[in-house]
Amino acid sequence: MGVTCVYAYPVPEGKSGPSVVEGLQRQVELLGAVRSGTFCVDCDTFQSILQSSMNSQPKTFYVLHDSEQPASCFAITDTGLCLTADTLFDGLVSKLKNYYQQRKNAKMEAKGQRYELGDFLIKVGSVSLAGSFKGIIVEVEYSPCVLASDCWGLMKELLQTVVGNLADSPPSVLKMKMDELYTPAITMSQYLELFNNFRKMATPTQISR
Amino acid sequence: MENKLKISQSQIEQLQQALRLTQKLRTHVCQIFRDLGDGFSEIDLSDDKPEKQKEVLNSLRNTLETVNNDLSDLEKVGQNLVAANPSANCDHVSLDPILDRTPLYSQLLHSYKWTNKMHEHATVAFNLLSQNALKRSPHQSLAGGGKRAKRLTSTASAVPPAVVDSLVATLDRQHADMLITVSRPLGSCAVVQIVLGRVLKALVVLRGFVIEWVKVKGYNEDFTTEDGRVDIWSTSRYQVFRKISDHAAAAMLHYYAPYMPDIGIRSFALWLQGYSNLFSAPCHKCGKFLQNAMPPTWRDFRTRDPYHDGCRQ
Repeated sequence: MGVTCVYAYPVPEGKSGPSVVEGLQRQVELLGAVRSGTFCVDCDTFQSILQSSMNSQPKTFYVLHDSEQPASCFAITDTGLCLTADTLFDGLVSKLKNYYQQRKNAKMEAKGQRYELGDFLIKVGSVSLAGSFKGIIVEVEYSPCVLASDCWGLMKELLQTVVGNLADSPPSVLKMKMDELYTPAITMSQYLELFNNFRKMATPTQISR
Repeated sequence: MENKLKISQSQIEQLQQALRLTQKLRTHVCQIFRDLGDGFSEIDLSDDKPEKQKEVLNSLRNTLETVNNDLSDLEKVGQNLVAANPSANCDHVSLDPILDRTPLYSQLLHSYKWTNKMHEHATVAFNLLSQNALKRSPHQSLAGGGKRAKRLTSTASAVPPAVVDSLVATLDRQHADMLITVSRPLGSCAVVQIVLGRVLKALVVLRGFVIEWVKVKGYNEDFTTEDGRVDIWSTSRYQVFRKISDHAAAAMLHYYAPYMPDIGIRSFALWLQGYSNLFSAPCHKCGKFLQNAMPPTWRDFRTRDPYHDGCRQ
């Protein structure tokens, strides 16, 4: 597991999501990357039922799974605290259904093609909320390096050939952890932030309906 | 010319005679051996017939006498024979029309030129190599003092472990960003593990002061097998570090100095330290970070400047 940058790729107006994904994939293939299966990152939201009298806001936490870390499960709280556990944690959460309940129709998923280019892993996929298309995600991982501040220069060089000016600065979650040893939990935090952004984007449209 | 031919004519006659005599001698000798080999029947040799016995012995004596005569004849002829002058026949080679058709002469000339050229190059190379201060090969110094070279090379690999340990400890102190540890799981050979910053890990096997083996892996990989022993063979799972392992092997040979063995290790460590900016320094030549999805994996032996594998001279 090396340094990873995840970006949301905007869909230009008048273009459909799948066609933009296809264009990105073609671009990655032109770089010389080789297809190596698919990837999937999913995120469930859990909400507390019992509300403490002092706090009116219900507490939420998110459970994420990454196909790159098939034996692990990541639970992230509102405050950004991250717990990395075995997949058995899913069973534990379902046992807590009297206290925390899964929010309905809130499951987010990013799915797509996985590519290898030398030591780089490039993933291009689409994000969906409860089955409907929400946006596009591009993930680039440089496996040999463990410090984001060390390899940002070379990641930027590769990212700019894929996502252009979007990669002028590191993702905001990563920016605060540039000098830390990189862990998969940081990738998950990046995904969660993007998922939340997609969700916020989606809310006004739902209201207008 | 005619005179020569005449002489050779008489020589040939004598040779032919000698050959004839040799043949004759051989037939007679063969005859004797055949007779002896066939043996004599018991009836012929029985005491009852002394005449028969005498006859057999007589014939054997006769044959031996002929052999003797043949041999003396051959010796007489042999004395007259003059040793053939090997170059005499070469005069006639020029008369042979077949030779004109074979490219022998041009081939000879060609190989002569090449030998000359090779000799020249070897002389130039010898002059150049003898100027080199850090002599690596014991053969080179054979001209000067072969004994001295031999002794020095053997001491480079036969250094007591305590001395190696103290050198490694000094290196550890000198390079703040390098964590160097020594273990000896392979007997007297020191296995030195180097952790360079948060960039890479390297494993160096030392026999005395001679670097025998180098492997480079990523910071998130390690040099232990599943059962916890030191693993000096396995390669990194990342292309970058496999490439650097190759470069490190080249550096190991480059810095090998049997005359000043500890300098070799010191300069190798210094060179390896140049990788601390592996991911953060762009190529010195093209100014880019990536080439074929690889960062600049080569460090110059003198300046430690980063270069891509394809950008270095």
